[in-house]
Amino acid sequence: MTGAAVEAHGLVKRYGELTAVRSIDFEVRPGECFGFLGPNGAGKTSTMKAIYGLARVDGGELRVLGLDARTERREIKARIGVVPQEQNLDGELTVRENLVMQATYHGIRADGRIDELLRGALLEKRADSKPQQLSGGMKRRLLIARALVNEPELVVLDEPTTGLDPQARLAVWGQLEEMKRAGVTLIVTTHYMEEADRICDRLVIMDDGEIVACGSPAELKERYGQGSLEGVFLELTGHSLRE
Amino acid sequence: MTAAVQAYLPSPRMAMRVWRRNVRVFSKVWKQGLLPQFFDPLFYLLAMGFGLGTYLSHAGGHPYKEFIAPGLVASSVMWAASFETTWNIYFKMEEKRLYDAILATPVEVPDLVTGEVVWAATRAIVYGTTFLVVVAAFGLVASPWALAVPPFLALGGACFGMLGISFSALAPRVDLYSYYFTLFVTPMFLFSGIFYPFDKLPDWVGTVAWFTPLYHLVNITRSLILSPDLGTVLGNALWLFVLTAVLFVVPVRAMRRRLVA
Repeated sequence: MTGAAVEAHGLVKRYGELTAVRSIDFEVRPGECFGFLGPNGAGKTSTMKAIYGLARVDGGELRVLGLDARTERREIKARIGVVPQEQNLDGELTVRENLVMQATYHGIRADGRIDELLRGALLEKRADSKPQQLSGGMKRRLLIARALVNEPELVVLDEPTTGLDPQARLAVWGQLEEMKRAGVTLIVTTHYMEEADRICDRLVIMDDGEIVACGSPAELKERYGQGSLEGVFLELTGHSLRE
Repeated sequence: MTAAVQAYLPSPRMAMRVWRRNVRVFSKVWKQGLLPQFFDPLFYLLAMGFGLGTYLSHAGGHPYKEFIAPGLVASSVMWAASFETTWNIYFKMEEKRLYDAILATPVEVPDLVTGEVVWAATRAIVYGTTFLVVVAAFGLVASPWALAVPPFLALGGACFGMLGISFSALAPRVDLYSYYFTLFVTPMFLFSGIFYPFDKLPDWVGTVAWFTPLYHLVNITRSLILSPDLGTVLGNALWLFVLTAVLFVVPVRAMRRRLVA
């Protein structure tokens, strides 16, 4: 337990009969961008939800920012930010109010910070729009801005660029790089290998609830003798499609 | 305190944050939202009280329109709190996934349930008191104790809110929501003593009514508005309070299973 941002030992997550995460171990270091790669159904989202408190830990140990994910959920959630896979902005409120309300849920005043976050998300001119009036890329940037309202030490992003066009993806990467510069630890799931290659310091590849490889993108490419991360991914998970 | 008890204890501070979100939204939409639900009891008062009431002399020792008016104040609370905690919660929970976002902040499930129920009670006060003012304007209030009605409307609203959120947390499919109204809310409206007293009916009619929350809220409002009786008010209030408190674990457990799998 020495200062890891997130530490999992034998983490298990079940949904009834289905075991989504089968006793995995990993450690995320403070300040790094850590990736979870894997096909759909590999257990990435379940692992993310366990970290941010929307899934019970069914076995093993999970510590987030030194706190126990089973018993200290409220304390953990106060110190992290979450960008979910599905957009769940408050459609009854404006863009600005979504951020103000997030500050309310956290019990903090964030008057000056809201403007700063709107600027960072390139949404200053849309502050009074409703979320449903925004493009997909804008919604995603707003979700990221919302995750930053409480000045988190760790941000969990579940597929932050899925479904975005290239420009929108670049804008999201810009936000991620900005966070990294500010020293925020990032945990990202993605399907895009070039994205993982570009933004992740280290990553794990998950398949069928297990971690099948762990390392930096360069290490993984070397270890498996592949020129790209995509090659590594297909080598490790390239069995028949299983949906 | 054991962890098991702690898992059900809401934080009032966190619950108020959920409540504040609803106040913010309501402050924007109340003009469209308030009016339709407000016309409903008014039309019943006109049709039954002033229409049918013209052909009836008295019910329960009062002119008919005076007899039903306090019951309609109580039912306006039931409708408001029930809509708020069924359809509105369904949209927040399932359609917009708003609860996922809220539960990713320090707010936990017991706080969320409490905030929503307190909000249902707040909305119930707004609707019930507005209608009480209308009833007073028609000259149907006999006692100054009517001024003490709003806190009991809040209690009734909390009780119907707790019932509604329990149903929403347990109902697996949205098509079941109409059953909640057809088989539970509407029968209560018709059979809980708003429109006729039970003294000349078979005993079992009153016994069945005793088991419905609306019956007790009607007793409270009718007592305070027409002929105040402390025992009646407190006894019925206790019934509502106990049901509300006992029920709390149901939505907390069900929502946890649903949202924090």
